[in-house]
Amino acid sequence: MFEALKSKISSLSKIKEVLTEGEISLDDSSLRDTLWEFQIELMECDVALPVAERISEVLRERLIGKKRKIGTSVEEIVREAFREIVDEIFIHSLDFDEFIEKTEKPILLVFIGVNGTGKTTTIAKIAKRLLDNDYTPILASGDTFRAGAEEQLREHAERLGIRVIAHRYGADPAAVIYDAVAHARARKADVVLADTSGRMHTNVNLMDQLRKICRVNTPDLVIFVDEAIAGNDAVERAMRFEREVGIDAHILTKVDADAKGGTALSVVYETKKPIAFFGTGQRYEDLKKFSKDWFLKQFLGE
Amino acid sequence: MRMLEKLGKSLREAIRKLARSGRVDEAVVNEVVRDIQRALLQSDVNVKQVMELSKRIKERALKEEPLKGMTAREHVLRVIYQELVNLIGKPAQIELKPQKILMVGLQGSGKTTTTAKLARYFQKRGLRTAVICADNFRPGAYEQLKQLAETHGIPFYGEKNEKNAVKIVKNALENMKEYEVKIIDTAGRHALEEELIEELKNINKVVNPDHKFLVLDAAIGQLAKEQAEAFHKAVGITGIIVTKLDGTAKGGGALSAISVTGAPVAFVGTGERIDDLERFDPDSFISRLLGIGDLKGLIEKFKEIEMEKEIKPEEIIQGRLTLKDIYAQLEAMNRIGPLKQIIQMLPFGSLGFDISDEMMQVTEEKLRKYKYIMDSMTEEELENPKIINSSRIKRIARGSGTTPEDVKELLKYYRTMSKALKGLKGGRVNLRKAMKHFRI
Ligand SMILES: Nc1nc2c(ncn2[C@@H]2O[C@H](COP(=O)(O)OP(=O)(O)OP(=O)(O)O)[C@@H](O)[C@H]2O)c(=O)[nH]1
Ligand SMILES: Nc1nc2c(ncn2[C@@H]2O[C@H](COP(=O)(O)OP(=O)(O)OP(=O)(O)O)[C@@H](O)[C@H]2O)c(=O)[nH]1
Ligand SMILES: [Mg+2]
Ligand SMILES: [Mg+2]
Repeated sequence: MFEALKSKISSLSKIKEVLTEGEISLDDSSLRDTLWEFQIELMECDVALPVAERISEVLRERLIGKKRKIGTSVEEIVREAFREIVDEIFIHSLDFDEFIEKTEKPILLVFIGVNGTGKTTTIAKIAKRLLDNDYTPILASGDTFRAGAEEQLREHAERLGIRVIAHRYGADPAAVIYDAVAHARARKADVVLADTSGRMHTNVNLMDQLRKICRVNTPDLVIFVDEAIAGNDAVERAMRFEREVGIDAHILTKVDADAKGGTALSVVYETKKPIAFFGTGQRYEDLKKFSKDWFLKQFLGE
Repeated sequence: MRMLEKLGKSLREAIRKLARSGRVDEAVVNEVVRDIQRALLQSDVNVKQVMELSKRIKERALKEEPLKGMTAREHVLRVIYQELVNLIGKPAQIELKPQKILMVGLQGSGKTTTTAKLARYFQKRGLRTAVICADNFRPGAYEQLKQLAETHGIPFYGEKNEKNAVKIVKNALENMKEYEVKIIDTAGRHALEEELIEELKNINKVVNPDHKFLVLDAAIGQLAKEQAEAFHKAVGITGIIVTKLDGTAKGGGALSAISVTGAPVAFVGTGERIDDLERFDPDSFISRLLGIGDLKGLIEKFKEIEMEKEIKPEEIIQGRLTLKDIYAQLEAMNRIGPLKQIIQMLPFGSLGFDISDEMMQVTEEKLRKYKYIMDSMTEEELENPKIINSSRIKRIARGSGTTPEDVKELLKYYRTMSKALKGLKGGRVNLRKAMKHFRI
């Protein structure tokens, strides 16, 4: 996974070194050229332009005039500096399983995002994960708008053998979710997974609707589902959902379509919210829990 | 529409920079190219494509001799313009004739929704149109297309429990012979899913479609190129549809799809509703990118449209305004640019005619609603809006899925427009002449 970025990192080793007063340090002008090249390569991996610029700037600040110790290579120095930066970006974390274990039941998770990113499918995957860990999930059909949305969720529920709470099309999603939580309380279900319609952050009424859903139901986690294959807009919309509704974690789907990885870096850089999972396919088991070590390894090929 | 919106801003800024600088030298060209480069990158245009384009613009701008009578500044503009035209490609030919259309694309890109939108597009233009569900993979896919079709009276074919998509398509073609336009929705898939790509090839063989539309999400990143390549290799893409341009995504990925498939952008999706589909016209698109700087092109466009009798500026100016004119105006807006921009370009200012805030505040969204409303009116009502009484208002609102207040608002907008334009009547303005005066 994320092969593209891995192969790009090696370009950093092109930075030349110079001899000043007997010590070896990294040369400013070749640093500038190489970092520009690196910035372009980050963008080829879907790191958003402003984020790529920032990363390359920070790298420059940290590398400039840096002395090389005997026995280390330029590549090692550069790689370490980049690793540090990525490490700092992913400072916030969320252990989903631990969160479920420790939070008072019933837990309400609301999934939001723009159209077609994989919210409904991801809900089914998480339901499967919860079942495997001996919890009882139920689904709330909060997408009362899109054609076939309820049938889609219902089919997943049937396959997994779990309950769905649904009203008719056009119903108030806040009320559907409210009912589902009440139902969960009465039937001692552990987790309510609430689906919502995909919507554009530019649609004021629909963003209001999300705020209402959260106001009425006070979810334990609001999860923003986006695609790992989205480019610069991923940052824009994540920030809008964060500002206008508030999000607690990201899930990035469709990684299996050869996603480059930069989207993950960009959204976390900007929102400062953790990634909970990656979606890696259309089967229920195609859900990869995020871990920083794993991600760094994918990135840096270590 | 927000396709490459950022680019438009930067281009206009670049043009201004060029205009301000006394001499057009290498430094100015570099600066202008850098701005364009950033804008393209932020719009998710393929990075390599952007770098090649910047190199070409620089080289041509600095090395090529300007055409006779052209200033250095005009020369640079012309190079930029030409290179952009190359990038954005030619207009798509969508004929109103019997045809089969295959919809392909990545998961969740908008195929099913666009299948319904396209069916509606042909249906409205008088062709007997049906949709076919060949997605037997995604839960709810069958119901999704069926519901969309049934709501709008579009015939539907699908088989809920058939495992073999190729078989469904075969049966569909057998059963839907009477329909002139047949649009086939397929399951989402990506380049690495070999079996699914194989399935698509087989569907393509059985259908032998006239059009193969690649449905592309406006937000797609650098992946666009390789995915478009794979779909092209599998079925031979003949047109691209960019969806979800109602958000903030800029749709730059479409440019790499254009370049690897050689196919034009045929339509763009601008919302979830069935009518949120627009034709894509590269010329007007570029005019818009360049903004008011390319007024000439816009005037040409105006003339053309005038000839097509869709909008009659002279008549409007003479004060004979019907709702039909407003409708034509809205249709034209789709092709030329936001109404506000058009109004700003019209010579009203130089005629001492003020455009009230009220008129300008009509948002594009509202205009779209107006279009739905007018779609539900009778010919008579459109020609003579005076006859629209409260019971008609109720009927129109019901038919268009809007409220009576919306209908009243449109009627008010109509009255404001006609009143404003009546004021011009005495002046006997020749619009074309006035436009000439207005040239920048
Ligand atoms: N390849 C791949 N496809 C995925 C993944 N996650 C979801 N999908 C597919 O993406 C498509 C859209 O998924 P949905 O779950 O319907 O997306 P959504 O966000 O609920 O869509 P709306 O409710 O319409 O906004 C479906 O075809 C899913 O099977 C993933 O990780 N990888
Ligand atoms: N805002 C907006 N939403 C759109 C547009 N086109 C499609 N959508 C939405 O995007 C989501 C996915 O659309 P679908 O038509 O289900 O996509 P698909 O390509 O058929 O998905 P799969 O069959 O799972 O591959 C739905 O929520 C649609 O309503 C558009 O132009 N604008
Ligand atoms: Mg959904
Ligand atoms: Mg579909």
